[in-house]
Amino acid sequence: MIRRAAAIAMICLLALPGLALGLTVGEVAREVRCPTCNTPLDVSNAPVAQDMKVYISERIDAGWDKERIIDGLVDEFGPQVLATPPKSGFDLIAWVVPALVVAAGLAAIPFITRRWARRPHAEAAAPPALSDEDRRRLDEELGPPI
Amino acid sequence: MDAPEDTSAGAPAAGGDGENPRWDRRRTIGAVVGGVLVLGVVVLLVVGLLNKDLGTSIQDALAQGERPDAPELTLPVLVAADGIGPEGAEVSTADLGDRIVVLNFWASWCAPCEAEAPVLEEVAERYREGGEVVVVGVDVQDLRERALEFIETTGVTFASLRDGTDGAQRAFEVPALPETFVIDTEGGIALKVAGQLTSPEQLTTAIEQLRAEGS
Repeated sequence: MIRRAAAIAMICLLALPGLALGLTVGEVAREVRCPTCNTPLDVSNAPVAQDMKVYISERIDAGWDKERIIDGLVDEFGPQVLATPPKSGFDLIAWVVPALVVAAGLAAIPFITRRWARRPHAEAAAPPALSDEDRRRLDEELGPPI
Repeated sequence: MDAPEDTSAGAPAAGGDGENPRWDRRRTIGAVVGGVLVLGVVVLLVVGLLNKDLGTSIQDALAQGERPDAPELTLPVLVAADGIGPEGAEVSTADLGDRIVVLNFWASWCAPCEAEAPVLEEVAERYREGGEVVVVGVDVQDLRERALEFIETTGVTFASLRDGTDGAQRAFEVPALPETFVIDTEGGIALKVAGQLTSPEQLTTAIEQLRAEGS
């Protein structure tokens, strides 16, 4: 039993560096933006972006996880370095408002469709009355009844 | 309020031409709410576009021969020197005392910043003993470790502050690096040099004028 637990613990320990090795510069770079050009870091070639990619690469090699590297970049450049606003404090509005608008739109669909369904279709407008002259010409064209 | 209106809303709609005042009122409220929402979005877009530009008020004032007030700065010290420190402490422009300040915005990845570093160092050394003039660097859009490597490589000995969030860069309306300001003892900007400094005289002429004014 003890031997089995030790083996499981050993496997878990061996798996940890593997998980860390799985992290790429691109995965972290997608989560932040270049401070000089405001584009996502993974597509930026600005000089500071190159430095930031080296920074990320060095931290990955040192075994840092994604959150820790991103926290380090926020410490360097402030929260505006994040590609998306943080889900806390005032910035939470950026996440909540669009969701509320979509929810309100979905909730409004039954009411709007019910109202449209209840609205009677407009009656087809009656054709204008045929004048005597038109009636005479029509009779001429059609000829006598067979 | 909604329920009784709902039962009557369908019938008058058939008539179309708004003979029911309740239906008209509902449509008016809808139009007003929609209009307010659209207006709000437009206002946000305009505010966003206006804030995107750094502005040119400092440049415009200098072009008219004025000395605009230097924006108040409070930044952490990257490298301490000339009584500015200790490292990591927050320092504001008011803490610099009654000195003429040469404020230089730089970054480690900026090649012209590296090229002009000897010029700034010469100015700093020239006035260091008198204590009337102080050169202060402001490191922007930079990684701390790269900035420290830059200081070591260039061998500059003046103090530098760190502007990680670009607040100072925006306040001083610095669109590109490097940029250097000479600020008088009253906190007014007397000179702005956009781009790389190539000789100390670009700064010392203005500094000597300010010193003469003070004496």
